[in-house]
Amino acid sequence: MTAVEFESELTRAGARTDTLWRKTVFFARQYPLGAIGAVIMAVFVLSAVFADFITPWSPLTTNAALSLAPPGGAHWFGSDYMGRDIYSRIVYGARISLAVGIGSTALGCFFGVVLGLLSGYLGGWVDLVTQRLIDILQALPLLVLALVMAAALGPSLQNTILSISIPLIPYVARVIRSNTLALRELAFVEAAHAIGMSEFRIAVRHILPNTIAPLIVLGTAQLGSAILTEASLSFLGLGIPEPYPSWGRMLSASAAEYVRTAPWLVIFPGIAISVVVFGTNLLGDALRDILDPRQRG
Amino acid sequence: MTFFGNLTRFATACAVVTGVAASVAAMAAEPKHGGTIKIYQRDNPPSASIHEEATYSVNVPFMAVFNNLVLYKQDVPQNSMSDIVPELATSWKWSGDYKTLTFMLRKGVKWHDGKPFTAQDVKCTFDMLKGTSANKFRKNPRKAWYDNLENVSVENDFQATFHLGHPQPAMLALLASGYSPIYPCHVSARDMRVHPIGTGPFKFVEFKQNEDIKLVRNRDYWKKDRPYLDAIEYPIITNRSTAMLAFVAGKVDMTFPTEVTPPIQRDIAKQDPTAVCVSAPTNVSTNLIVNRDAAPFNEPDIRMAMALAIDRKAFVDILSEGQNKIGGTMLPAPDGVWGMPDDMLRKMPGYDPDVAKNREQARALMAKHGYGPDKHLKVKVSTRNIAQYRDAAVILIDHLKTIWMDGELEEVESSNWFAKVARKDYAVGLNLTGNAVDDPDQAFFENYSCKSERNYTGYCNPALEKLFEAQSQELDQAKRKQMVWDIDFKLQEDVARPIIFHSTQATCWKPYVHGFSPMVNSSYNGFRFEDLWVDK
Amino acid sequence: MAAYLVRRFLLMLLTLFGISVIIFGLLRVVPGDIVDILFDSAGMVDPAGKLQIQKELGLDKPIPVQYAQWIGGLARGDLGYSYISEKPTLGEILPRIPVTAELAGLALLFSVALGVPLGVISAVRQNTLTDYMLRIASLTGLSMPAFWLGLLILMAIVSWFGDMPMYTDMPSGFWQQLGLYAIPAAAVGFRSSSLVMRLTRSSMLEVMRQDYIRTARAKGASVQSVNYNHALRNAMLPVVTVIGIEAAFLIGGLIVTETVFNIPGVARFLVESIRVRDYPIVQNLVMLIAVVVVVINFIVDMLYAVLDPRIKYSD
Repeated sequence: MTAVEFESELTRAGARTDTLWRKTVFFARQYPLGAIGAVIMAVFVLSAVFADFITPWSPLTTNAALSLAPPGGAHWFGSDYMGRDIYSRIVYGARISLAVGIGSTALGCFFGVVLGLLSGYLGGWVDLVTQRLIDILQALPLLVLALVMAAALGPSLQNTILSISIPLIPYVARVIRSNTLALRELAFVEAAHAIGMSEFRIAVRHILPNTIAPLIVLGTAQLGSAILTEASLSFLGLGIPEPYPSWGRMLSASAAEYVRTAPWLVIFPGIAISVVVFGTNLLGDALRDILDPRQRG
Repeated sequence: MTFFGNLTRFATACAVVTGVAASVAAMAAEPKHGGTIKIYQRDNPPSASIHEEATYSVNVPFMAVFNNLVLYKQDVPQNSMSDIVPELATSWKWSGDYKTLTFMLRKGVKWHDGKPFTAQDVKCTFDMLKGTSANKFRKNPRKAWYDNLENVSVENDFQATFHLGHPQPAMLALLASGYSPIYPCHVSARDMRVHPIGTGPFKFVEFKQNEDIKLVRNRDYWKKDRPYLDAIEYPIITNRSTAMLAFVAGKVDMTFPTEVTPPIQRDIAKQDPTAVCVSAPTNVSTNLIVNRDAAPFNEPDIRMAMALAIDRKAFVDILSEGQNKIGGTMLPAPDGVWGMPDDMLRKMPGYDPDVAKNREQARALMAKHGYGPDKHLKVKVSTRNIAQYRDAAVILIDHLKTIWMDGELEEVESSNWFAKVARKDYAVGLNLTGNAVDDPDQAFFENYSCKSERNYTGYCNPALEKLFEAQSQELDQAKRKQMVWDIDFKLQEDVARPIIFHSTQATCWKPYVHGFSPMVNSSYNGFRFEDLWVDK
Repeated sequence: MAAYLVRRFLLMLLTLFGISVIIFGLLRVVPGDIVDILFDSAGMVDPAGKLQIQKELGLDKPIPVQYAQWIGGLARGDLGYSYISEKPTLGEILPRIPVTAELAGLALLFSVALGVPLGVISAVRQNTLTDYMLRIASLTGLSMPAFWLGLLILMAIVSWFGDMPMYTDMPSGFWQQLGLYAIPAAAVGFRSSSLVMRLTRSSMLEVMRQDYIRTARAKGASVQSVNYNHALRNAMLPVVTVIGIEAAFLIGGLIVTETVFNIPGVARFLVESIRVRDYPIVQNLVMLIAVVVVVINFIVDMLYAVLDPRIKYSD
């Protein structure tokens, strides 16, 4: 959906959209939950970007005197077994989660869009082959596929992103394909054909922009699921390696060992994951309501 | 008193006090027959064949299936030459030159499948370890132990003689380890991995991955009145916090040996004050391995700088709340038999308690090779993806920062670790080395001899190896000790494999469990379990 | 209909074939040689011994040959031997299935029992406080990692009761089993219940907007009975679809939950086997999961055809 359409959508809903501020206020009024989600996401992104400035400690420095120190004082969320500050680790962890979330969603969406467009627009044997590929990718639960991929590639940030992006492809490809199929029949595409535009240009110029709305909805939803998958992989020891402060890793077996003696090791990273995923879900719901009115609840 | 002394003495005092209390309690009552004990197993043992593996995840559950020729006395915490008792042998005799060792064997002993035990089985076992028989092990990690064993001859069904290349009184120590069970001739190596047959106090019933291992009493055991227990079960609980919950809640009667860390031990004391916990050194050292072929680590100065950068006390404080011990290759005294005196220890590079001074020297060495505040050396620190390894590696990286080294941790999937190290596919690594027998013959030959498969750094010093052999042949124990200290000193000076610390960990059991004595200088030898009994 | 069935069935086989190729290939590019891994527990690698083991395991043959051998074995019902335990693969996998199946069944039951009624209530009371609260609760459920929820439940139960049901023994009776599985099943089921609730709600809303509901109301049926009888019945269709798919996808949640709760099911076995590169276990197990998913999808498709009101009305 283009900016113009977004404007008209807001106007249709009765908004006074003359200034950005008013638009924001309108959005917050109309979609209070979505606004909360947006705020959460903003805090999340800002923490990731400005981690260096808002943490008093390095997330990696160990300190014997602070081993398993409880929350309070200079260490708001306490410290872990090796005396590393949990608050700092969580703030820096936002970077990892953001990188994995956005990286894998973007990668998954890119391949999904390419496959979906090709398959929906070209049809024929391309469609047949793509559909089988999608069937294959969808026949395995997301985490199982991600697990096998992660084990195959070895633990690292890039590999984790890749492992999580691949199971996302079929979801995106399906939606784009069905949208493309619908669009292909529309008058303006036929008109483009009539004036002799090349297939490639039609696909990129006319069809792609019209699939952006469902893509945004899908992307936001998948962002949360990517973050959760990263947490699960890292929890199982197949995701982001130490000493990078990944939230999932912070919850892994060695932290869970202190679930009784030092519960803050388990509570804070879990809250961080839950809140951010909650934010993506809230925002995703609101975006879906705005951009995809057919599905409005 | 030095801080090393303080540390060691304090920790030992604790271990001794609790240990004594435990054995006093054990002696107070008459042993009872019957009952089942549950000990949680920390992971899936790789197989059931003790000879093919090098982890006590195998010894703990399966040692009770077997017998040795001789064994360290199970109720004496410190393994030493003077506490070796006969098992399948009834007696042994050295020749005057300590080159032949003759064993008289026990009669009427039966394998768990009913076949009789004879001297042939002894020969088969050591032929397999030497790699000279048709029935072959897939893996033979302790081949280096028997380099000096030329062959085993069988005089009759109940007498076997070991022929050695040069005198080696400590051969007996190696044979007394939990790693030296006698295998039957008539069972294939493969079957021993899947369903082991022994002569020991318990018979193997089943091993289900992720679930449990079950042993039942051997009714035909040659030792009268043993074992006391009807069965031993090892539920496999890989998550340590779940395992400790199971222990506190009484779902298992004993923790896996040496798995309890100080914070967990405090928690157990709070949740179940009646639980008996004994902490003792495991004779597993955490050490730094440096690939001597990879530039710039082929430069002795750089290796020395790394050795100097290590703040051993910080490791000990963070990882064990001060309980771990600082020493050389050999486990420090008094738990270890071969530990060197404190004043000697402090003279080794990086052992001086003045860490600032050590690091000053280290930086000088680094500067000599062009490194400085503006030019850092990037290093990849590889380690196994297990908390014990990883936690120490993270601290190591922190320490290397002080000498202008920027370490990046590379976690190696646990099951790939040794293969990677053996391929020399690393620059700097953090490793754990377990010494099954507190004897220089094991520690030196296995870890530092030029051709040993477990000499990961490829350190090879033929002159020093001559000394390994000399100490091995030395009959005078006092003299041998002095030689061992000198070798140990030289190993640290050569930065062969800088030892960071020796672990101390606790084992806990419920008060109704009796007859278990954790050993203070090995975590591989004390699990025959025939004296274990419960009073529920 | 028959032609459609046959076509769907053939496509299913094609999909399974594709999966088998991909899994087999993926496992062969995994860094870390299985033989090195076997040597790992011995803390050494012996090159001669390595070659010997490779030969024993048939790993010295070219990969296409290995693949053919695997598929050939599958066709004969011979799944080979586990590299680690050296026991038949089938015997390793089969006994673990009931544990996971029961856990999944219980979790599914939990998610339906909680998700459907809440979804209906939320739809009927659309835009009331109740609706908002329920929607937030369900979003919360979707946002929490299942293993974290499991850890928290574990923590809470232990600190309140000082004890908890734990798998240290094969459970002997039905009640013991239920006690053991209830908590982990709830931890997994909570997440899917959120999904079921959201879906029930939206499909209820959609159905409620449709003409025949309005007609029924106009005919004088009470709002209540219309909502619960007509709307719910028709809204169940997409819900059934998702529940069907969810059943298979629960395995993702079970992988971590079985690890947290130390349950020796097939999901955790998969992770352990991936870790030690036990190819025969991993490839057969992944195939099994794929077969389950594909077959469930197939059944759901059939069910859809049977349940779809449009098809029913046109009869």
